[in-house]
Amino acid sequence: MAPKIEYYCPCLAESPYPPPPHLASSSYSFHALHNLFFCEECDAVRCNRCVLVEVSGYYCPNCLFEVPSASVRAEKNRCARNCFLCPNCRNTLTVVPSDPPEDVDSRMSPIVSTTLGEPPFFLYCNHCRWDSAEVDITFEKPTGLAAQLQKFEDSAPESLEFERLKEHFEPFLRASSSSTALPSASSHHVHTNPITAAASSALARDIPGVGKYNPLSRSRIGRDKAAHRQEYPDYKSRVEVGHAAALSGEVDVELLRHLETVGEVASLEQRWSNSWVTPLRASDLKPLRIPLQSKKSKRCPSCRHILIKPEQKAQSTRFKIKLVAANYLPAIAVTLPHAQAALEMMKRSSAKSVSAAAAAEEQQTAGALIAGHSYSFHLAFTNPLYDPIQIRLAKAVVPAHMTEDAEAAERARRSTFQIQLPSAAFPVGAFAEAWEYDDEDEDMFLDEDGVELLDARGKKGKDGRGKSRSVGIVDKRANVTIVSGEVLIPKEARGDVKFNMLVSYTYRSDDPEPSEEVEVGTPSRSHGTNKAPEMKNFSFYTVVDLGSIMYREEPKLTADL
Amino acid sequence: MDLPIYYTRAEYIETDTGNKVSRRATISGPQNIILGGKTIIASGAIIRGDLRRTGPGHAVVISLGRYCLIGEGCVMRPPYKTYRGNFNYYPMKIGDHVHIGANSIVEAATIGNHVEIGKNCIIGKFTIIKDCAKIADNTVIPPNTVVPALALFAGSPGRFVEDLPESTPEMVEAQTKQYYTRFQPLPQER
Ligand SMILES: [Zn+2]
Ligand SMILES: [Zn+2]
Ligand SMILES: [Zn+2]
Ligand SMILES: [Zn+2]
Repeated sequence: MAPKIEYYCPCLAESPYPPPPHLASSSYSFHALHNLFFCEECDAVRCNRCVLVEVSGYYCPNCLFEVPSASVRAEKNRCARNCFLCPNCRNTLTVVPSDPPEDVDSRMSPIVSTTLGEPPFFLYCNHCRWDSAEVDITFEKPTGLAAQLQKFEDSAPESLEFERLKEHFEPFLRASSSSTALPSASSHHVHTNPITAAASSALARDIPGVGKYNPLSRSRIGRDKAAHRQEYPDYKSRVEVGHAAALSGEVDVELLRHLETVGEVASLEQRWSNSWVTPLRASDLKPLRIPLQSKKSKRCPSCRHILIKPEQKAQSTRFKIKLVAANYLPAIAVTLPHAQAALEMMKRSSAKSVSAAAAAEEQQTAGALIAGHSYSFHLAFTNPLYDPIQIRLAKAVVPAHMTEDAEAAERARRSTFQIQLPSAAFPVGAFAEAWEYDDEDEDMFLDEDGVELLDARGKKGKDGRGKSRSVGIVDKRANVTIVSGEVLIPKEARGDVKFNMLVSYTYRSDDPEPSEEVEVGTPSRSHGTNKAPEMKNFSFYTVVDLGSIMYREEPKLTADL
Repeated sequence: MDLPIYYTRAEYIETDTGNKVSRRATISGPQNIILGGKTIIASGAIIRGDLRRTGPGHAVVISLGRYCLIGEGCVMRPPYKTYRGNFNYYPMKIGDHVHIGANSIVEAATIGNHVEIGKNCIIGKFTIIKDCAKIADNTVIPPNTVVPALALFAGSPGRFVEDLPESTPEMVEAQTKQYYTRFQPLPQER
């Protein structure tokens, strides 16, 4: 596996430290840079796990029709045009007439014009060849099929039961939404919607001792509800549950007795996520109107400012607001030069087209980290800001409570790898639009800051105990600076070379804020006014994963890689 | 940063607009094919510009935008159908920054900009793939499928898996440009 780096999102956690990278659960806290957002208001990174998501528009993923939210409810979140899913394989169904195709060629191709043809029409799957005539669904006209299908859906006993439930809870919902109006207005941070409130209240009633879910003021709201709840009658279902179960149970037994293939039973997915009713027999599955999808806005969980706001048009990939972390934080790419050098040699010698799979495999062996060796690694920082930045790296501080046993810690230290990072701050040049178009990127933009470069290649010679290896800047061009670090892997080390790294950078702030508020600001792409530049600092944690440690009996074989 | 991808100079023809076309690719009906510039057609790819609508005159059968990649062994074939009793081919239009992985077969009607199609995929006739969508490796997209913008599709038949990040356009654009830069003749031949 190629080395990689991910960025930490604290998700409003109280501890400023990222979780130790060897814990499996830590993977939930780290994300690729392109998945992260940045809140200018809070001056913080946000991720998809912590942002608040709102629907900003609905559309059908097949006909791409933008459905007004008013009709979404009436049409039960599904497309009301001619878009249907195959109940068997979930492919999109085609409407076909029942007259036979005229020539051999079009019989081989299921693509038949829908404007011609003889009734009855039916729905056909051109992937698994399911068709709706199998379940006795045919249509006299090839139009308005969704409305006809929705009639089936709406008359299903399950649907009627659900309607009845909704009716029953309607007054309760109205009452609870009015009683929650006050507390939710007083604190807009935590929003309890009436449905959640109703559900938790019902749960509390049925299971004594279960507290109602309310992140705000548990007890007070609980008491309010308790006062109301007696006023509502018990729910009476349309069909007696015991009666219905007994009925279907016998039928099911009979069916199972005569089963010949597993395929006759509808799979769980077909039944539950792919069907309105939940038939046991695969041959009872009905076509489904395609579920709508939504465009989403995203807000900062702390200050509620909008981070993502899509354009209205469903298929537009542009956004009215798009505050992504990649425009604020430097992008970091990590490589192992010894692995790259080996791969490069291989590619040149074996000339062209080594297949990608073979190359990846080769890279794995060539780029192995072998216990008892030390390796240098490169970190390439790309600056997205229009001003140069200064970066400083540090290994993440381990909180004190995690290292209580000094002796054990020392033992652990001896058997784990050691990381060396450049200790001095280093500059990364400003981003300029022009570089984007300079595809060749041949020019080297060196030493405008008088930076001394290490020899990038010359270091791979000595593979021993890393005597003449150095840690520092390797290359600097345009808005990219590459620095090199070093990892020393003791003989007894096992596992992954994975560590948390703190990246701090200073940038010129354009904030017109009073200068008392030092040290915090928002890195921004926009150019400042004519005021004197003010330097600010921003820090974030990352996890660097260089790969797993390999243990080899004969290190001599690999020593001259 | 990323390693170069080498090719032997003798294998590729480079056009004035920077397209690089392998001599080992089969380009049928080149007069009916448009390449936008800086587009790479790899070894063993087959592009059927010869399968054109019947009738007189010159017609564009397959058009590709800028910074596209047609991977090794891909087959690009325009879709066809019989309409009112007449058999015909229909043009295939592909936008900018579209990468198609090795050994995929494409019979789409339109593919938008910033689209990634993996290896060993089958993209059925008259498929419409909108901007910034991604098709995972080994996916079979049945004929007439619509893949919405910023959606990841995978499986057989290909189905929606998840929404892609909002930064997809920038990422794919950077990747395709970088790929073109990395794709270069062997150093000893320069
Ligand atoms: Zn988060
Ligand atoms: Zn639709
Ligand atoms: Zn099907
Ligand atoms: Zn915020």
